[in-house]
Amino acid sequence: MDEPRDPQLLKGVLPMLVLALLTERESYGYELVTRLHEGGLDDLSAGTLYPVLNRLERDGQISSRLVASSAGPARKYYLPTDTGAEQLWSTARAWQQLAVTVDHLLARATPKETS
Amino acid sequence: MSSTRDTLVRELYLMRFSWAMQDYPRYKPIVRELRTELTATAAEVGMRQAVADLGHPRVLADGYLSELGRPVPRWTTGAVWGALAVAAVAYLAMAYAVGTLDTIEQMGGGTLERVFLGATTTFVAESSTLAVESTFTWQVLVFYALVFTVPFLLGARVWRSWASSPTGQTVAA
Repeated sequence: MDEPRDPQLLKGVLPMLVLALLTERESYGYELVTRLHEGGLDDLSAGTLYPVLNRLERDGQISSRLVASSAGPARKYYLPTDTGAEQLWSTARAWQQLAVTVDHLLARATPKETS
Repeated sequence: MSSTRDTLVRELYLMRFSWAMQDYPRYKPIVRELRTELTATAAEVGMRQAVADLGHPRVLADGYLSELGRPVPRWTTGAVWGALAVAAVAYLAMAYAVGTLDTIEQMGGGTLERVFLGATTTFVAESSTLAVESTFTWQVLVFYALVFTVPFLLGARVWRSWASSPTGQTVAA
């Protein structure tokens, strides 16, 4: 059974994950929530994601365009900008380095599993 | 197509969200965008689910405010503090007037004058008359302005107006 996730852990990496998913393909807000759920973040709410999208767009890391929808009003689709793409790789490298360090430290503190 | 009930649910949520976002600089485009997003999402999952996915409007607004990366003044809170301070002073003045009239009446009735910041207040308690009259001076006006302004500025945390982002050097409480 999965451990309950600390929201603060997710908060730090969410912008990176959003940039990564948008690099894969453009999406609108609610679709991104669904894709993040499918990716394993099933406790993420739209209310957590929308402020992050707003900040990324304000910082020029993602751009948006309106696409007509068959049901309801036009939807806002997001795509990373060049700045966002650079930011993604820079953050991803930093994350990988941090993950290695954290794993190393945790390995020293966590009891070994018996086979 | 959205029903009247859906529209009411959406607008009630957005009204609460707008209220919580009042301290966010130029928040109205965000509210408009959220309205469009809610309407579009409701076409997929229904309005109740779309609204529920956003969480509490206050928490959502806090999310936007924290993504600003810098503290912002809380003008709405300041206005509430200022209004409460003026109301408290007005209540005390009224309680003082009622108490004074009651005392004069218990002492057999009569007229009493008191001067505060140049304004003369006359209390009359006689068998046929019960009245309080007061003149008005600029000093009294300044007094009430200060009673409002000081709590307003403190409640609004006005010093945050000069705070920069966390990357800058200025830090606010």
